Amino acid sequence: MGYQMADQKQIKLLVKEAELYRTQGLLEESKEKYLKVLQLIRENRQFQNNKKAISVIKGKIRGLEKDLAEIDRETEAPELSGNLQDLIKNLFSFSQDKDAAEIEGAEALAKFGQYERALTEFNRLLKKGVFPLIAAKNILRSHLALSSPDAAINQFREWLSGDLLSRQQLRNIRSFLEYVLRKKGVRATLPEVARESSQKSEDMESEGSFLDICSIRLRLVNGPCKGSVKELEVTFQSGHVISLIISAKDEDLLESFVPGIRLKGVHFFSSIAVFRADATISEYTRIKTGPRRGDYVLSITIERSDRLDIL
Amino acid sequence: MANFNLKDRVIECKIVYYGPGRGGKTTNLQYIFKAFKKQTMGEMVSINTKGDRTLFFDFLPLGLGKIRGCEVKIQLFTVPGQVKYSSTRKMVLKGVDGVVFVADSLQVRRKENLLSLRDLQQNLAEQNNSIFKIPLVLQYNKRDLARESIPLMPVELMERELNGKLKVPSFPASALKGTGVRATLQECLKLTLQHLHRELKWAR
Repeated sequence: MGYQMADQKQIKLLVKEAELYRTQGLLEESKEKYLKVLQLIRENRQFQNNKKAISVIKGKIRGLEKDLAEIDRETEAPELSGNLQDLIKNLFSFSQDKDAAEIEGAEALAKFGQYERALTEFNRLLKKGVFPLIAAKNILRSHLALSSPDAAINQFREWLSGDLLSRQQLRNIRSFLEYVLRKKGVRATLPEVARESSQKSEDMESEGSFLDICSIRLRLVNGPCKGSVKELEVTFQSGHVISLIISAKDEDLLESFVPGIRLKGVHFFSSIAVFRADATISEYTRIKTGPRRGDYVLSITIERSDRLDIL
Repeated sequence: MANFNLKDRVIECKIVYYGPGRGGKTTNLQYIFKAFKKQTMGEMVSINTKGDRTLFFDFLPLGLGKIRGCEVKIQLFTVPGQVKYSSTRKMVLKGVDGVVFVADSLQVRRKENLLSLRDLQQNLAEQNNSIFKIPLVLQYNKRDLARESIPLMPVELMERELNGKLKVPSFPASALKGTGVRATLQECLKLTLQHLHRELKWAR
């Protein structure tokens, strides 16, 4: 009798706990408590024939399982209002540099699943010539996220016939698209990017033998940021020489780069592989015209040694 | 990193409420929105799922007025606590200046607290930040449930498990009732502004 009273008290407490967890949205925890209640009822001679109680508890568990399944299904981000999209764009663009901030804002929209709006933003930035490589790749990513590989492929074809992107950039984008399509299990034959006929054959060879690099990660060995790790986007590549644009406002970073400095163990990210190699800062020039006037172009030469590690 | 406009003497910083799902981060902000009416600079924005779980973030802008000759603006954010929203948490954490970690006092959420704190540590490290260096305050939420005989972890245990190494200020709280919410925020603001003053020398 004493045991039964204790069980009754415990059941009451467990039900109270389970209900509280349910109201707090802790559905797994709630279900666990209800299962324990069910077990106690079944083990207790006084309650085991109480079909009504068993049925009520079972109903609670079914309800919780339904809610849990619904949460699991919630994978797609809802389309937000224009105001909320603007808020996201503004809250998640951090750079002082206007162009970089615009790219960050558009990337934030894509990361929060607002692909349609992100597409509009990236297309606008591409037309303005703001970080064309980054904008173009994000356009393709957004098309793919919207489950339209055909739209991504058509977009690439459109760029091929236009003059928004250089051939070098198109080649980079082509290998990127090829990679992401393959990752998605989409088989597609992408049109080739025609080679520039006026280039020296020597240059062509060296360019062809190098992967198209999208970004690099390096540890700074000089200046006020010495020791910190930076990731930088590659804006142009010619063979084993890559170029990056550094904003004039990023003074600390600018001070870190001096021509001739050797950078050890730089990570180079391409669309198909990541590799590590040493590199040398070969040139550092100020942009005199165009939208990035005043900023700096940093050229880095990748050392073509045998110590190139594919990660 | 905080935005400091030297010319207009305005400093804008970002505080993120972090912690396991359903631990009371949004409730904290809701209380602040009501209790700090004078300081709020706009509506509180919440982007939730159908089940009222935070999907992306909550956002609340505050204006603290002039502090030592500088206009201080604060952006309060919450992250989605559910494990599956990892990339969103990383995104919201970008450029953070101070963190309030809202731990759930319920015994059944013990593991989730530890996992979330580790997640915070990793995400900060990815941004070249450190959980040991960033202004951080812990809040042990839902203490009011002790009165309803719901099994809670003793504060001492939470202190040992979550704050043993960090040794940062911590506050027992009930975000639903508002207990401890103000003290938590004030301490985090104090630490954040002191930290930013050391970095940016914004105060006169």
